[in-house]
Amino acid sequence: MKLRILLADDHEIVRRGLCSLLQKHEGWEVCGEASDGREAVEMAKRLKPDVVIVDIGMPSLNGLDTTRQLMQHDPQFKVIVLTITDSDQVIREALDAGARGFVLKSDAARDLVSAVEALQSKRMFFTPRVNDLVLAGFLDKGHVVARNEAPSLPTLTVREREITQLLAEGKSSKEVATLLNLSTKTVETHRSNIMRKLSLHSIRDLVVYAIKNNIIQIQMPAQIRSAPETTVV
Amino acid sequence: MQHRKSENCMAVRILLVDDHPIVRQGLRTLLQGRQDWEVVGEASDGIEAVEKVESLQPDVVVLDVTVPRMNGLEACRLIQQKRKNSGLEVLFVTQHDSPQTMREALDAGARGYVVKSNAARDLLEAVESVSQHRVFTALARSPQASG
Repeated sequence: MKLRILLADDHEIVRRGLCSLLQKHEGWEVCGEASDGREAVEMAKRLKPDVVIVDIGMPSLNGLDTTRQLMQHDPQFKVIVLTITDSDQVIREALDAGARGFVLKSDAARDLVSAVEALQSKRMFFTPRVNDLVLAGFLDKGHVVARNEAPSLPTLTVREREITQLLAEGKSSKEVATLLNLSTKTVETHRSNIMRKLSLHSIRDLVVYAIKNNIIQIQMPAQIRSAPETTVV
Repeated sequence: MQHRKSENCMAVRILLVDDHPIVRQGLRTLLQGRQDWEVVGEASDGIEAVEKVESLQPDVVVLDVTVPRMNGLEACRLIQQKRKNSGLEVLFVTQHDSPQTMREALDAGARGYVVKSNAARDLLEAVESVSQHRVFTALARSPQASG
């Protein structure tokens, strides 16, 4: 029986590359492709893939929240997060969200097959840097206790994070309501709760919050002078 | 344009430049459907792109704006400087869905500009157009491609 893989990335060009890479492996099949997180969740529920590969920076519902929703629906889902950054915060969030694999997009051609093989054997797979962090005790109890002792930051519910992303992407409350099958009034209530919890006073503040907390990703303007570049796909 | 002869007579020879191998793989997959096109090489940064243009002499360079060591706009300028009158054309395939960046790309000597989010839709037509020295631009914001 073939290992069934669902791909979620908003760039078809990346999905084509991933498909091409994965389908060379005998016994694997890409059973579906989603272009945003919301579609990924719906397809995963319907197709029940063995492995889900999600890009972290997708519109409508980002990769981390997609992972959270998948885990909420069924903790047996095996998710690999594809990301352009391996910052501490992103790594921590991906692991907290329930991802079992973490691969840098720049290394996907090299690491993704190994990642899927690992998950197929019920193991986890992380880029070397994440492994180093784990070994350094990043996730050990001592560290977790230290985090718990720190002043707690306001936490948003899964629904609130969804709405934060959509509002930060520029959607109106009415548009969010239509997308999420809610009433506009409900969205407005969530919006007020979000702003109050986070002590924000404007949509601009919300956008800044969303960027800082990897709920949305921004595209840096192109530089015309030669300089070391952050690469974005 | 004088296409160099290869096993496919009159094949359009294409160099792919992007720092993500997975993106280059995706581009290859899209391009491989055309028998009269040949991907002759790949580069992962601007400096390598310039070097490979010299060594491989492609007809079309498919280039990302944001690549390391030398960004795509600088690389395009340098390529066009070195290969003036050779008929080589540059097509940008980039994340930057910005009219300003597109203008800069065309000013740098590119003939085409498409956005990665629509690359699957626009790439073939874009390569076709620029290989025939026709401008092809398509931002995600505007529904119509102009060529």
